[in-house]
Amino acid sequence: MNLLTVIVLLPLAGFVLNGLLGRKLGPTFVSVVGCGLPILAFLATLKAFSTLQLAGPDAALIEHAYRWAAVGERAFEIEFYFDRLSAVMTLIVTGVGSLIHVYSTGYMKGDAGYARYFAYLNLFLFFMLTLVLGRSLLVCFVGWEGVGLASYLLIGFWFEDPAKAAAGKKAFITNRVGDAGFLLGLFLLYWAVGTLNMDEINAAFMAPVAPAVSASLVGILLFIGATGKSAQIPLHVWLPDAMAGPTPVSALIHAATMVTAGVYLVARMHGIYEHAPEASQVVAVIGLMTAFFAATVALVQTDIKKVLAYSTVSQLGLMFVALGVGAYGVAVFHVYTHAFFKACLFLGAGSVIHALGGEQDIRRMGGLARRIPVTFVTFAVATAAIAGIPPLAGFFSKDEILWFAFASAQGGSPVLWALGSAAALMTSFYMFRLLWLTFLTPSRMSHEVEHHVHESPWSMTSVLVVLAVLSAVGGFVHLPEFLEPVLPLATAQESLEHLEHRLVYVAIAVAVAGFLAATWLYRGGLAKGDALAARFPRLHRLLGGKYFIDELYDAVLGRPLHWVSDRVFLRAGDRFLIDGTLDGLAATTRRVAGRLGRIETGQLQWYVAMAVLGIVGCLAWVWRHV
Amino acid sequence: MSIDTVLLYFFGIAALAGGVLMLVAQHPMRVALALIAVMLSLAGVYAMLGVHAVAVFQVLIYVGAVMVFMVYVIMLLDVRDPSFVRRYSRLLLPGVALGALLVGALGLGMARLGGAPEPAAGAEAPSYLVRPFSQEFLQQYWLHFELTSVLLVAAVVAAIAVIRSGGRQDG
Amino acid sequence: MADLQVLLWLSFALFGIGLVGVMVRRNALVMLMCMELMLNAVILALVAFSLRTATLSGAVLVFLIFVVAAAEIAIAIPIVLMLSRQKRSLDVEGYDSLKG
Repeated sequence: MNLLTVIVLLPLAGFVLNGLLGRKLGPTFVSVVGCGLPILAFLATLKAFSTLQLAGPDAALIEHAYRWAAVGERAFEIEFYFDRLSAVMTLIVTGVGSLIHVYSTGYMKGDAGYARYFAYLNLFLFFMLTLVLGRSLLVCFVGWEGVGLASYLLIGFWFEDPAKAAAGKKAFITNRVGDAGFLLGLFLLYWAVGTLNMDEINAAFMAPVAPAVSASLVGILLFIGATGKSAQIPLHVWLPDAMAGPTPVSALIHAATMVTAGVYLVARMHGIYEHAPEASQVVAVIGLMTAFFAATVALVQTDIKKVLAYSTVSQLGLMFVALGVGAYGVAVFHVYTHAFFKACLFLGAGSVIHALGGEQDIRRMGGLARRIPVTFVTFAVATAAIAGIPPLAGFFSKDEILWFAFASAQGGSPVLWALGSAAALMTSFYMFRLLWLTFLTPSRMSHEVEHHVHESPWSMTSVLVVLAVLSAVGGFVHLPEFLEPVLPLATAQESLEHLEHRLVYVAIAVAVAGFLAATWLYRGGLAKGDALAARFPRLHRLLGGKYFIDELYDAVLGRPLHWVSDRVFLRAGDRFLIDGTLDGLAATTRRVAGRLGRIETGQLQWYVAMAVLGIVGCLAWVWRHV
Repeated sequence: MSIDTVLLYFFGIAALAGGVLMLVAQHPMRVALALIAVMLSLAGVYAMLGVHAVAVFQVLIYVGAVMVFMVYVIMLLDVRDPSFVRRYSRLLLPGVALGALLVGALGLGMARLGGAPEPAAGAEAPSYLVRPFSQEFLQQYWLHFELTSVLLVAAVVAAIAVIRSGGRQDG
Repeated sequence: MADLQVLLWLSFALFGIGLVGVMVRRNALVMLMCMELMLNAVILALVAFSLRTATLSGAVLVFLIFVVAAAEIAIAIPIVLMLSRQKRSLDVEGYDSLKG
């Protein structure tokens, strides 16, 4: 029963149909095909999930799709693997994906590239499903690269604007840097273990005799790949720029699914990380740094989507902290809740932008709560979820992360907990700041914009409602226990177990403190916030300039590369060497031809002499042995 | 050393001398006369060898028609010509060297390779006197002979064509 | 037959002289005459070989060559006349329109 193959191929069919026929057959066809096929894929996933549940807790469905290549005795197969972890990820991808497709029919209505948009979006789903359902790391890598491609195509969707096209390029190239690490890790694994199937690799590392390769090395290399895809320091620079794409794209790719691929990879290869304490520590530290610094930058952003982008980077950092201390199931739990509330936030932002006719600067918003109530309520619910207010979903997952950051037997430390909690405090603060400035403060909108404010169509608001409900109740499904057969639970140090409840209260206090601080500063508008910024101008400029990392990269990498390309490759290599050689050859040929042309004197006697010379030569040659 | 052999060698040397004269003489008329001398000497060689038919026709056709034509043309053309002052082209030395080389190569090859194939044993040597030769010639090779008339017709047509087109260009 | 070698040497010598004349003399008519000399040398060689092999075919070929030589001279001289009329000279060094 090729259910998994069907799940993967349905969106591909959508890509082909919409790509080839979409323009001709019109928006209705595009919408039906573009949304219908992902919904079908979601239903198929449910069916597969029920089959899996009947088969037992640590069962896995394995389907062989195609033999890709055979080299000698070894072969590379395309197989799909469905266990509980895959099930969770696939349900998120197809479920939230379908919702966002439906939302897009409202948001992208009237756009000239409507068919192209849905084709690319379906293509993305195809690659993401390949990534999540692949059994071999090779198939996973195909999906990995493919989602990077789809991301590039969708970020640069309005490519006539060079800045947007450049953002697409930046995303793709930054990803590629990470992929180099991923590939090196792949090569090492294949050489040491002899197979690229993820379940077999995990089994090999958990066996009594580990493979003859440093687990830490492989762990770090795979994590480099995850850094690129999941926007961790130092490869996080592409995610804020990626906001140039349409907002549903930001919701789907850069919040719910693609950026969580790195988390999935590390979680899936937990067998390696359990035996690589140094690599796990690197993961945790980088995750923590990312969480903290991204949160600081989000404090001062003024574009509604940029706030959410940095928030995503920060939340991803928290997920990696969880992975680094061995709480793999908890990280996936946060992926799951994050998908709901972050998608809801992004789509809500999209709804706001749609209502304001394109305005994205929160300094020019305000007073929208009464005018677009559905958007406001759903946005508020999602904000509370991300801030960690109980009993919404975000509280459960974030609280567990912070607990294990403190107390895990595999690397938990108070420092991790303290800085993580600081990041949570900042998260709560800037999210409520966003809520106040966008919806609740007196209006700072211009007059015509205010005139046109209207609620979004039901295709958009219905999705917001569904996601808001999921953000509210999703936390009651306790995912780590569900995933326990696949991802072993983290263990807390016994000496610290009594502190668990106290830390829960601290977490709640942190969330509430953020809310109160934001309310006090921003209830009346921008005034108090601007005054605070004026008191610390340099800090404000540092945060506003995102620590000038982009400028650093440009100076250290960009400009030297440009110099080398220009001086060495273009001038010396291309123009001087290659063109020079060709032109030189041509000139030499011409000169030689000119010289040879002097044989043609036009005088008969000269020709006769030449002929006689030739005849003498022939005779000499023929009679040389005589 | 019979008289025949002496005469043979005499005519041979005369032919050579005429050839050298052709190279050296300045006036074209003198060159033509030297060529006539060469041809007559060669006819004498053929006569001495017994190939009378060829000797006769050598004198009749070559000397009598071809060289007469040549002489007429030389007489009609203007002698005040730059080729008069300087007889030899730039290729004097290379030309002589190449000619010597060619003759040397041919002679050496001939000497080393031996002569012509032996005549078939027991075959009767044909007579090259005029009557027997002509009979054999026209009995066996009459077709080839008739076909040459086609060549002559072509030559006549070509001559007329050349003169006509030259006339049109000139004007 | 020793005569054959002598005759052939004579033939080669006359041929060589004719060839040198073609390459060396400037007057177009003299060049033509040297070409006739070459032709004569060839005729001598043919006769010698015909005598040697005791067949008629060499002599017959000689006859055909006579015809050819006559036809050739009948064309060549008008051509030279036309050329000289155009270039106003019989100097072959000036006939270099095909240069390059």
